[in-house]
Amino acid sequence: MTRSKWLQFILDQMIWFILILVVIFFTLRTGGKFLSGVTLINVLLHASVLGVLTIGQTICLLSGNFDLSAEGIVSLLTVLAAWLMLPYREMTLAQAGGIGWELSPFIVIPLMLILGTLIGWINGLLITRLRMNNFIVTLAMQLFLRGIAYVISLGAIMPGTPKEFNWLGGGRIGAIPVSVVVTLLLFLVFEFFVRYTRFGRELYAVGANRDAARASGFKPERTITQAYVIGGFMAGLASWMLLGRLEVSTPTLGQGMTLETVASAVIGGVALSGGAGSIVGAFSGVLLLSIVDTGLNIMEVDPFWITGVRGLIILVALLLEVQKARFRLSPVPGRAKSPLAQS
Amino acid sequence: METGSPKVILEMKGISKTFPGVQALDNVDLTVFEGEIHGLVGKNGAGKSTLMAILMGLHSMDSGELRIDGRLITNVTPRGALEAGIAYVPQQVRMMDSLTVAENILAGNLPVNRLGLVDWNTAFQDAEQRLRQLGLDLDVRQKVEGLGVVEQTMLAIAKALFSKARIIILDEPTAALARAEIERLFGFIRSLKKMGVAFIYISHHLEEVFEICDLVTVLRNGQRIGTYDVSSLDIPSLIRLMVGEELREYERQTSRQDDVVLEVRGLTRRGHYEDVTFRVHKGEVVGLSGLAGSGAAALGRALFGLERRGIGEIWVNGKPFTARDPREALDQGLAYLPQDRYRFGLVGIRPVRENITYTILHQLVNTLRFVSFVKERSLVQKYIEALGIVCASPEQRVNLLSGGNQQKVVFAKLAATRPAVLILHEPTQGIDVRAKLDIYHIVDELASQGIGILIISSEVRELLGVCDRILVMHKGRISAEFKADDPQTTPENILLAIEGGNAHDQKQVASVYP
Repeated sequence: MTRSKWLQFILDQMIWFILILVVIFFTLRTGGKFLSGVTLINVLLHASVLGVLTIGQTICLLSGNFDLSAEGIVSLLTVLAAWLMLPYREMTLAQAGGIGWELSPFIVIPLMLILGTLIGWINGLLITRLRMNNFIVTLAMQLFLRGIAYVISLGAIMPGTPKEFNWLGGGRIGAIPVSVVVTLLLFLVFEFFVRYTRFGRELYAVGANRDAARASGFKPERTITQAYVIGGFMAGLASWMLLGRLEVSTPTLGQGMTLETVASAVIGGVALSGGAGSIVGAFSGVLLLSIVDTGLNIMEVDPFWITGVRGLIILVALLLEVQKARFRLSPVPGRAKSPLAQS
Repeated sequence: METGSPKVILEMKGISKTFPGVQALDNVDLTVFEGEIHGLVGKNGAGKSTLMAILMGLHSMDSGELRIDGRLITNVTPRGALEAGIAYVPQQVRMMDSLTVAENILAGNLPVNRLGLVDWNTAFQDAEQRLRQLGLDLDVRQKVEGLGVVEQTMLAIAKALFSKARIIILDEPTAALARAEIERLFGFIRSLKKMGVAFIYISHHLEEVFEICDLVTVLRNGQRIGTYDVSSLDIPSLIRLMVGEELREYERQTSRQDDVVLEVRGLTRRGHYEDVTFRVHKGEVVGLSGLAGSGAAALGRALFGLERRGIGEIWVNGKPFTARDPREALDQGLAYLPQDRYRFGLVGIRPVRENITYTILHQLVNTLRFVSFVKERSLVQKYIEALGIVCASPEQRVNLLSGGNQQKVVFAKLAATRPAVLILHEPTQGIDVRAKLDIYHIVDELASQGIGILIISSEVRELLGVCDRILVMHKGRISAEFKADDPQTTPENILLAIEGGNAHDQKQVASVYP
């Protein structure tokens, strides 16, 4: 390899080096406590719900669109699921029961996945068919869905979801949480999916240059709608996972996670302009965020500091990304075009 | 010129400029007097753009001298050119559309009152007065986006004058204008000319050059052919000067067969083209040329389903062609190479391999919709070799290739669909000479495989070299047809037809412009 290729390689894999450095830092600061099986499990557990949502977000970002609605979907579906499954109870001290139908988890779980998918599809249609701005559409959708969640729950928490329901979020296979296994598998499957399938190719092409994708025979509208459908499905899955872990619903569940998913994707090298980045890259971003959270927890840093540190990390990641793009773009020969070129 | 000894305002002497593989300008002179409208004509690639880019400080010159008001200017920068009084008004004027005329005129210098707020009354009065001095009557309170195209152009000229411009370069200012608007613009230009403003007027519409210009400088292949008083010329003689005695740069054998692969009958889209009827045969290369707005470009995009097509019948390979979007067009055997390859041709940040197979992914996937690596690799390798695409590897990002190689990638992805008809829109634009020849060979090769090819191009010489037949569009209609072996098929006659004259009777045209 030539020198510039090495540099390219290091730039491309920068995030993994940073991860290693961060792990070393926490290990030294905690006197080795950080480097244990328990911590690893905690990090991955922390990364599971965020990870599932980040996969959906990344797929939308690759198509050149934001999905800000996912946390709204989580908010609505967790409340809805608890409401449909729990027995009826008078509201006391902001605690409430369900509507009293006590539906089986085996009905509610498919319902959650279908509803999530459906909402994603509606997002896609609004954006592609009605040509509405993706940022605004999904932001409005987020608010709308959380609003419904408040109305259903009256702001109360609904505790005590059934055991069969909690398997995905709270179950363990030996010492390893089911959600961790499922999340890792999903990252793997989706990495292969976007990398090697026809849909994946379309996704990158549409995100990078929609006009050229269309002129190559792709249908950008369809691809973008499909991206949102996947985003909605993943939000449904994340809702099931999150509610199963907490066993309690509140309409504020998922709040703030949109930003974390976007941040994870960007830290992992996914371009906000679309068409560049990978699912595995996004995973590295998720890992970084959860390692930092877990590490600061173990160090018993004041939780009020953690938010600020996260903000800093995202800024630094973006800074690196911009520098990388600048480094790459400079030596492109033969692209100078004068404004007179057409005359 | 009315006055006795007009002052020289711009003097460019012995300007030369070489780009990799091309001598863009070779010892070119250009002298412009105060109060003169100086036409600059030449075919595409003659060097007009490069000469103007040097004047504006966008390119450096390899050798030569530039004097403004007799003052030697070395090392022209865009800022230096502006300060020296050079202004460029493009075909499509760019201004702050959502702001008022006054704000655009006074940009950065809006008057403020004692509170530091904009003093609107003074601003509007000031702007109005300034415009009136130039004889321009515009509502200064109106937003620029509400103005017509001609008003925006005039406003851009006025704005240039307010920032002390003395030489204004007009680049195809009339391309989007109706006749009455052109009259208005010309009236405005003439009134400024009386005030001593000099114009360099670039246009392919030679009729207008005769109407508005005093002198005209002709460039051909980077050389100045001469500067002439327009009253001493007519359109045919000007075209002869632009074309010169040129040999065809590319010779080919026709591969035309008898079957018709593309038939268009009575295709009409109001405002774009009318009653267009033509055929392309198997293995035939047909050229289609016309001025901007003649409908040739719109026709190409519409056939591929990128724009609405209007009414009329189209047959591809003997079947009715009903495609409403590019996917359906490709499936029905019609492929299209777009003029703007950065925007429509390529996904720049993706590798060569992916770009080549975009159009045929559905043929490369297995039942799980995974793309077969083996099939893809061998196909990509085949096209890289067949078209001579120079790249570090198939995994290289396509926007890191040279223009010619990028264009070959677009050819590869279209050829991979095995179309019956291939439409090429300005296939050699922005490509160096060697790569152009490669492209001509590729066109030839594809034609010999039986593909019917329609080349939409404004490069007449290129069309003469590669086409069996050339169609000319004028004002939305096909107005002339030239066969390659007809002695009447000369660059002069074709350019005449493009300009709107009757190509088969030069004398008749000449009499219109005595």
